[in-house]
Order: sequence, then structure tokens, then C-alpha cells
Amino acid sequence: MRRWSAIPGLPPLLACAGLLVLWELAARGAHIDGLPPAHQALKQVPAILLDRESLFHIADSVRRMLIGFALALAFAIPVGLAMGRSGKVAAFFNPLLMVIYPVPKAALMPIIMLWLGVGDASKTLVIFLGVSLPLIYHSYQGARAVEEKMLWSASAMGMNGLQRMMRIVFPASLPEIFVGLRTGLVLALITMVTSEMIARQAGVGNILFNSLDMALYDRVYAMIVIIGILGFVLDVAFERIRAWFVAWADSQHQIAVGTS
Amino acid sequence: MTQRAAPELLLGILPIALILALWQALTSFDMAPPALLPPPMAVFRRLVEQLGNPIFLQHTFTTLLRLFAGFAIACLVGVTLGLMASSSRVAESAIRPIVRVLAPVPKIALYPAFILILGFDHASKIALVAADALFPILLATYQGAVSVEPKLVWSALAAGTTRRKALLTVVLRAALPSVLTGCRIGLVISCIVVFLAEMISSTDGLGHLLVYASRSFETVDMYVPLITISLLGLSLNAGFNALRRRLLAGYPEAE
Amino acid sequence: MIAIERISKTFETRRGASHLALGEISLDVADGEFVSILGPSGCGKSTLLYIVGGFVPPSTGVVALDGKPVTGPGPDRGPVFQEFALFPWKTVLGNVMYGLLERGTPKVEAEAKARALIGLVHLEGYEGFYPKELSGGMKQRVAIARTLAYGPSILLMDEPFGALDAHTRTGMQNELLEIWERDRKTVLFVTHSVEEAVFLSDRVVVLTRSPGRIKETIRIDLPRPRRRKELLVDNRYQRLVVEIEALMDTPAQRR
Repeated sequence: MRRWSAIPGLPPLLACAGLLVLWELAARGAHIDGLPPAHQALKQVPAILLDRESLFHIADSVRRMLIGFALALAFAIPVGLAMGRSGKVAAFFNPLLMVIYPVPKAALMPIIMLWLGVGDASKTLVIFLGVSLPLIYHSYQGARAVEEKMLWSASAMGMNGLQRMMRIVFPASLPEIFVGLRTGLVLALITMVTSEMIARQAGVGNILFNSLDMALYDRVYAMIVIIGILGFVLDVAFERIRAWFVAWADSQHQIAVGTS
Repeated sequence: MTQRAAPELLLGILPIALILALWQALTSFDMAPPALLPPPMAVFRRLVEQLGNPIFLQHTFTTLLRLFAGFAIACLVGVTLGLMASSSRVAESAIRPIVRVLAPVPKIALYPAFILILGFDHASKIALVAADALFPILLATYQGAVSVEPKLVWSALAAGTTRRKALLTVVLRAALPSVLTGCRIGLVISCIVVFLAEMISSTDGLGHLLVYASRSFETVDMYVPLITISLLGLSLNAGFNALRRRLLAGYPEAE
Repeated sequence: MIAIERISKTFETRRGASHLALGEISLDVADGEFVSILGPSGCGKSTLLYIVGGFVPPSTGVVALDGKPVTGPGPDRGPVFQEFALFPWKTVLGNVMYGLLERGTPKVEAEAKARALIGLVHLEGYEGFYPKELSGGMKQRVAIARTLAYGPSILLMDEPFGALDAHTRTGMQNELLEIWERDRKTVLFVTHSVEEAVFLSDRVVVLTRSPGRIKETIRIDLPRPRRRKELLVDNRYQRLVVEIEALMDTPAQRR
């Protein structure tokens, strides 16, 4: 058992294969219109990916997602770090964040669309909002856990406040920040899909529901598979980057979870 | 304690008050048309009014029903699978890779499939809520259970407890702080997801009310369900925290 | 009688290599005997104890109790761990009652017995406290009471006083001797303190550094009941301590 499970990447691959087999069997056994067999849906995957229009939609969605993610990164990390090092800043933001925490960010879509229209701005803003919260939280936790004595040594070396922040607090918080980034990335994808499902204008989420409305069930499932792969690939890619950046911290195999 | 907490609380209320003030200013100086941004008092008045409206309450009840049904399924399945994965090599080598693959997949993308298989009614929403809340609960249970001090289990085994029983009375019990944290996260997620599902495709529930209001350009009515679900999430979170503190009376982890 | 026969333990390291933690060890412990296992840290002395307890399977060899091979933990062998391993969700009384209730003792009877044991370890008045509210020494007394409660004929003590400060430690040693001299259970006592081993034991088994093998067995024929004040000025005690310390090839200074 140890031998095969030790080969990197093999267990998830087997898991995928197992899930597909399960799906195929369920579809054949159940005979529901709404559940086509796996092989039929998978045939549609290349069709979607080779279609210029849908590929354009997917690329557009991913672009918005990355912009929203980048904006959140630039905003949330400094805020989180400042909260972690200053009780006052933390006291200022904490109640606000607590109130925002249970608000479904993607549900703001109709309201934001009233203000900013149906274009990129609304969707990017919603993604930004969705990603910011976990990022702030994890940066905050990371900065808060920085050892006081490390900062004393830094002061003794003559670093000022900003230098201490950039050269001590930020790198020391990196492992925790990366946990936040990983959750945030998955969350960005979720918010992206959800907001497009609600707005029904363009993008991946729209393709899904348009296919559903047109009863193109194979296409619905193919799209689900594509989004699923996107989520998994983003997560794996990010885990690689994280491992490379914070090789010095103990590598915990935590799996990112989140929702918008 | 109160002397120190008071200014901190004031500091914390400040940004919330500022946002409300800005909102009020935007509307009262006519910088935003009421069709886009209704005055805060109008929203508040409508909220109070709706909370006494049986139809609105009926929608709220529908949402809560779906929320709790999905959450309960997620708790049951998540804790069971998490415990199984922590206690058996075979179960772990089956569950771990599947979780690794499915956890980062946006569950909301499965919603169309749930609709196709389970129909447009409650079941598809409940399934989505359960799918979304499942993973944080499963992972928290697993991580909590594998980090239980083995000597705690040994102490029970030496006293004559069977392994099977110890899994529930010792491992699960000792992992409770982690399990409950996972459940709390799952609960807030459930709250958010049920609302989104209702927005995307539903004929009732709070989420549907928002979409319905936006289609008929009733701006005030768009804010009310959103605020209601947020308040629900906030109070469920607080309630769960209180429950957690009571359940974890002896644990060093509980503050 | 405990018969340890050619026991060894090999651990697999994460990289897949195997590491011999415990060489072949054979040791007989008579009923009512107090035997200490002494050795530098990392020599596998605790592992040996866990194997006797049935918590960890040996790689080779067998442990037999009165001729019956050990296959798992059982209430005939009561462990006491350095980490205390008390159930954090149970009070002092609940912890001590645990084993009794597991054996099906009626609640009233179990409580009376538990209260008597709590008295024996001088913790009257603390019955309703949670472990986290107690000091280290008090926690270890609860753990001892919890183990004594289900009446094991063998006590397996894994550096039980290792986490305590020097003063508490000597106090606990005296108390343990008092209890032991009363009902003369078989005790297997793991420690890295030479004084502790000599003070308490009938026999001291010195293990070598990793992999742990038996280097020497020394009989401690100091008179009982032992009193610390008398012993510390006793020539024979001092000579034994010096002799055994020389055997241990004084790892403390070398590191």
C-alpha cells in the first residue's frame, strides 16, 4: 500500500479515474436524461476547448479572476500585516470584518451591477471582495504570531518600523500568508463562477446555465469537468509555488477550503 | 478589562459608523439616485416591516430549512469520513486522494448537475449546501483526529475500552475543538451557499427575493434579503460559538 | 510474571529506511517486583514499555504475562504516562471513575471507590476540577488514581515524574513508594534519573544507547520501607548511584 501511494500524483489520478467510473456506472444504471454517461460528457470537453467563442469566454473569466485576485493581494496583505502588528489597527478593522464575513459576496452582484454596469468592473470587484477577507485574516494571523524577540533584534540592528515590517514581519508571516493565498485563489474561482451564474452575461458560469437552458446536458457536464480541472490545477500549481517560497517552514498538507 | 475594552470597541464601531454616514451623505446630498442607492433609513424601515410580514418569513423559513438540512448532512458525512480516514489506513488511502481532487473544485459548478439530477426543488439546493460545507468539516475532523495524543487512546484501551468505542468516546471527543471549528466554518458557508443557490435558480427563499426585486427594480427590496441572510449568518456563527464554549468546558484550547 | 523474550523494534523512517530502535531484549519481572528501566534518551526504553502494554506491536519477540502472550492493551496492565494523558473533558472524579464504569461497575459504587482513591492521592476537594485547572503534580496524581481504579496487577510507568519540577518530583516518589508498599503491585518504571531508579526499585536495568540493549542489571538490596532522609546518607545508596552513573557513560555531560 505504501509503495503505490508514495508515487506523487498517482493517488489523485486513481481517485479521478474512480470517480469517473462511478459516474459512468451511475449514469448507466439510473437512466436519467439529466445524467449522461461520463464518456459522452468527456467527448464534449475538447469540443468546448476548441470552440473559439467559448474559449474566449473562459479566458475572459480567468483574466477577471486573476485581476481581482491581484488587487485583493495588494490591498489585503498590508492591511492584515498592519492589523497583526498593531492592536489599534486590529481593533479598528476586526468588527467590520466580522460583520462582512457572513455576507455572500457574489450576492452583491445585482447591486454592484446597478452601479457599475454589467461589464468587467462589477465582476472584478466582487472577486476582489471575496478574496480579500481570507487574505486579510491569514496575513493578520501570520503577523500576530511573529516572535517579539525577532523584532527586538531588528530594532537593535537599527531597523525602523517600515523596514521591520518589510524585512521581518512580512517574510516571517509568509507561510501563513500563503495559506490565505491558496484559500483566496480557490475562492476567486468560486466567486467568479457564481457571479457569472447570477449575472448571466458572459463567462464560464454563463456557458453552464445557457447549456442547461438549451438542454445540452453533455455540454453542462463537460463544462463542470473543465471548471473542476481548473480548480484542481490552480490548487496544485499554487501548492508548488508555495512549497518553493516557504521551503523553510514545515510543509503541512493542508487542503484549501473556502466559498464565497 | 472594561476600561481597556471600551475604547477598542469604540475604535471598532468607527469604520462601520463611517460607512453608514457615507451612505447617508450620498443619498441625502443627492449624489446617488435613490433607484441605485436607497437611503439607509428606508432600507432599515423596510427590513423591520418585512420581518413582520408572513410571506417574507415563509421565504426565510424555506431558506433555513435548506440550510440546516444541507448542513446536517455535511456534518454527518464529514465527521464520519474524517474519523474513518484517521483510524484506518485503507480508508485513508481511499478518502485522501478523493478529497484532494474534490476539495479545490468549485462546488457551485456542480449546481447545474444537481438541478438536472435532483430537480429544481429543495433537494438540489440541499445537495449543494452539503457539498460545500462537507470539506471543511471533513478536513477539520481528520486533522483533529490524527493529532489526538495517542496516549489518551492508550489510557482508554488499557482501562478496557474497545478500539471501536474509543474512536467515538475518546478520539472524536478529544478532536472536538477542531471538529466544532470545522462545523462553524461549514455553517457560515452553508448560509452563504443556500442564498446563492436560491439566487441562481429558485422560486422561493431569501435569495430568490433578491433576484425578484432586482428584476422589478425595487432597489430597497434587494437590500433586505441580503441583510437578513447576513444577520442570520452572524447570529448562527455567534450561537455556534456559544455552544462550542459550553461543550469545550474542560479543554485547554477553548478560551 | 512478565516474560519479555527477545523483543526488538524497528521503525520505518519517512524516507523508507528502517531504524532499529530496540535491540533484542529479554527480561523477566517477578510478581510484586519494582523494576526500573534506565537509559539515555532515545534508547527505546519507553518503546519497550509500550510493547509490554500492548500499545505498540514488537517487530520480533513476544511478551508473555503468566505464560499468555500479549496481543493488545488490557486492564491487567495500567499505564501512567509522562504526559498524564488525562481526558480533558472529564473532571478529576470523571477521570478516576472512567475505568470502573468501563468495567461495568455501578455508578454509585464507582463513585465511592473513585472518591477513596482521590483521597489516597491527597486530592480531596478537587473532584469537580478539570485537568487544565490542576498543576503538573496534581495531574499526575489523578492519572495514577485513574489507573489504580481499575485494579491492574501491573503498573507501567513511563517517566511519570519527568515533567515535574524537582521538589514535586521527590514528593511524588515518596507517595508512589507508600502506595506500592501497601499493595505491592508489579511495577515497570522507565526513567532517566539514576537517583530515582535506585530510590524506588528492587532491580535496575540499564540500557545502552540506540539501539537499546540491556547493558547491565543491578539488584538494589536496600532495606524497605525506604525513607529518603535515611537513604541519602546511606553509603550503599550512594555507592549504587555512583556505580550506575558510571555505567550510563554519563551522556548528560557529553552532549
